[in-house]
Amino acid sequence: MKYWEDFKIGEATALGSCAITEEEMLAFARKYDPQPFHTDPEAARQSIFGGLIASGWHTCALMMRLSVEAARREEAAATGSPGLDSCRWLRPVRPGDVLAGRTEVLETWPAKTRPIGFVRRRVEMVNQRGEVAVAVVGITMYQRRPAATTGLSA
Amino acid sequence: MKYFEDVELGETTRFGRYEVTREEIVDYARQFDPQPFHLDEEAARASMFGGLIASGWHTGAMFIRMVCDDMVPEAATAGSMGFDDLKWLKPVRPGDVLSVESVVRGKSESRSRPDRGTVKIESRVSNQRGEVVMSLVSLVIYLRRP
Repeated sequence: MKYWEDFKIGEATALGSCAITEEEMLAFARKYDPQPFHTDPEAARQSIFGGLIASGWHTCALMMRLSVEAARREEAAATGSPGLDSCRWLRPVRPGDVLAGRTEVLETWPAKTRPIGFVRRRVEMVNQRGEVAVAVVGITMYQRRPAATTGLSA
Repeated sequence: MKYFEDVELGETTRFGRYEVTREEIVDYARQFDPQPFHLDEEAARASMFGGLIASGWHTGAMFIRMVCDDMVPEAATAGSMGFDDLKWLKPVRPGDVLSVESVVRGKSESRSRPDRGTVKIESRVSNQRGEVVMSLVSLVIYLRRP
C-alpha cells in the first residue's frame, strides 16, 4: 500500500496512455459539451479549429481514468481530491490521437485534524507528437500510514 | 449575439437545472473514474463519504452541459483556455438537482489575435439545498464584434 508518507517531491510517474476515437469524442460531447466543434465534423471543419476536437472535459476525464488506473497499480491509498489550482487546454485533441499521462509531485503536507495528507501534483496529457494537450496542477488526498503497533508482542 | 465587447464586469447569470441520477453517476464512473465510492453503493457507504457520490470530473461535465444549454447559444464564444481554482466543496449525490451562478470577474483582449479576448467567469454550482458543491474560474474565449 502506498500512503501519503511515501510521496516524495519531484517524484515523476508515467500514467500509461489511451487512444481517443471520433466515436468516443462525439458520444461524450453530445452528452456533456454539445458545441458544434465537438459534435459536428462538418461544422468543426469550418470552425477556428479546422476539424473535430475533443471536449476539454473529455480529455480531463481520460486523464482521470489514467490516474485511477495508475493509483490502482501502485496500490495508493487515495481518498479523493479537494480540487485543482489550474487547468489549461493547450492544444486541440483530435480523433486518433494517443494521449500519454505523466505526473510529478510538487508539494506534500499533512492534514491538521484528520489522518490524511495532501499531495499537490502536476499532471499532463501528451499526444503522439510529444505536444502537451492539457496540463493541470491539482491536489490529491491520501491516507496516512497507520501508526506502527510497537510494544505489542505475540 | 453577445460579443466580447458586450460582456460587462460583475454581470451575474443564474441558469441550469440538472437532475443527477444514480445510473448516470455509475455510468460516468465506469468510463472515467472507477473508484469504489463512485461505482458501488455498498463500498461507498463504508467509505468516508457515507454513500455513492459523483466523480468530481462528472460534476464538471454536468456544469459544462448547463453552460452549453443556457449560455453558449447566444454568446460568440470559441471554447475555453481552461480554468483556475476549481474546488469540489460538497459531495454530489443521486437525486441532487444542480444549477449554476456565474459572475464575470475579468476581461482581457488578446494581443496576438485581435479578433478575440478572454473573459474570466467565476461559477458556483449549487444543489437543491443551496449548498455550493463546486466552484471554478473559467477562462472563456469570446470573439470581438466584427
